[in-house]
Amino acid sequence: MAAGAGHDHLPVHAEELFRVGPIAISNSMLMVWIVAAVIILVAQLATRNIALIPSGLQNFVEWLVESLYNFLEGILGTHLVKKTFWFFGTIFVLILFTNWFGLIPGVGTIGQFDPAGFDGDSHDTFRPFLRGGNADLNMTLAMSISFALLWFYWAISENGLVGFFKHIFAPKGKFSGIMAVMMLVVFGFVGLLELVSIIFRPVALSFRLFGNIFAGETTLETMTAITGKWYTAWLPPLPFYFMELLVGLIQALVFMLLTAVFLKLICEHSDEEGHEHH
Amino acid sequence: MFTQLTLLATTTAAPAQDAGIAGTVKDIATNFKILPELFIPQVISFLLVAFLLKKFAFGPIQTMLEQRKQRIADGEAKLKQIEKQLAESAQHTAEVIAKANADAKRMIEEAKASASSLTEQKAQEAIATAQNIIAKAEAAAQAERAQIAADLKREFGRLVATTAQQATGGKLTADQQRAINEESLARVQA
Repeated sequence: MAAGAGHDHLPVHAEELFRVGPIAISNSMLMVWIVAAVIILVAQLATRNIALIPSGLQNFVEWLVESLYNFLEGILGTHLVKKTFWFFGTIFVLILFTNWFGLIPGVGTIGQFDPAGFDGDSHDTFRPFLRGGNADLNMTLAMSISFALLWFYWAISENGLVGFFKHIFAPKGKFSGIMAVMMLVVFGFVGLLELVSIIFRPVALSFRLFGNIFAGETTLETMTAITGKWYTAWLPPLPFYFMELLVGLIQALVFMLLTAVFLKLICEHSDEEGHEHH
Repeated sequence: MFTQLTLLATTTAAPAQDAGIAGTVKDIATNFKILPELFIPQVISFLLVAFLLKKFAFGPIQTMLEQRKQRIADGEAKLKQIEKQLAESAQHTAEVIAKANADAKRMIEEAKASASSLTEQKAQEAIATAQNIIAKAEAAAQAERAQIAADLKREFGRLVATTAQQATGGKLTADQQRAINEESLARVQA
């Protein structure tokens, strides 16, 4: 059923569609799976008859991947990018296409209508089948937490456990005498601040992405409803669609860039040493 | 939208005053439905998607890109090798040409020298032959002149004898004839 029949408002959270045992499948999760399936399908089509001299779809996909790889190589360096490209590539491509797929008409507007309201909530009368994947804090938090765990793993594997803590707490530079003691205290405090910053990174990452995408969807929904007539409803949100295309790209880029820079910052020292050794 | 945001603000801010940070976190989790049954599947879903994209999307493309890079590197290495071989070949050709030029020059000089020597030899031979011919001719001419002179002497003697016989009426002796001949010859030769 279309949304016009009784779409109350766009809730801040994703809505559960069905359950598989204890696992709840939400409309945003379904959206992410569809996007992932489309990306995999396109990649498979592009690499089905892979040729040494590329053309058509293979050419486009290779251009995308190669550009992304070179871009990340410029930030992370040759060594780190080989190890981590799968993650940052996934982050960028998945966020970008999830954002853009969320703009397809029907996402958030086709679903179930229950005049009595879902889950006993009389205001929640409409439940869309699909919802923008990044307009769900669970999804953005899942990506951020996954990155945080991988960040620890990569940081420790690159620096070693002692090197990791030294990187955070140890004074940068060479000091002696009373100055060394003072610097130990100063950098110890800076290290504590750094720890707080590390803890809050997933929160900042997830809320930034969620906030931007959810705000965009809310804007589009509000603009669609602003005229109150079905035959003019397409016009007000039209400029915002172009803006959301841009926002989708920028947010994908921001998320990927920030995560890449966070990793680079913790691995920078060891990466330089690694280069020196080589 | 504004009602919703106001609602969100009040629901997140008010409990924070009541129950501190823990209460705020709990309220955010409730409002945004950050629940284990939704969050954990999202984490699994994301990691699964990342794995699938790595295996079926980035993996084959990166392999292809690596192969192409390797092929380009191999091609460049081969090109350098070919360029090196070409330079070596050009140098070798130049050396061979230079050597051939030097050989040709030397052969021409030798031929020139040989030709000059042969000309000289042939000229000397020709001169010798000519001198020989001249000598032979002179000898032949001298012999012929001597022959003619002898014949002339003989004929003159005969004429003188005949003339003397006729003048004397055939009364000259052999000694007289010989004396007349010798005197006549001496006068002719003088």
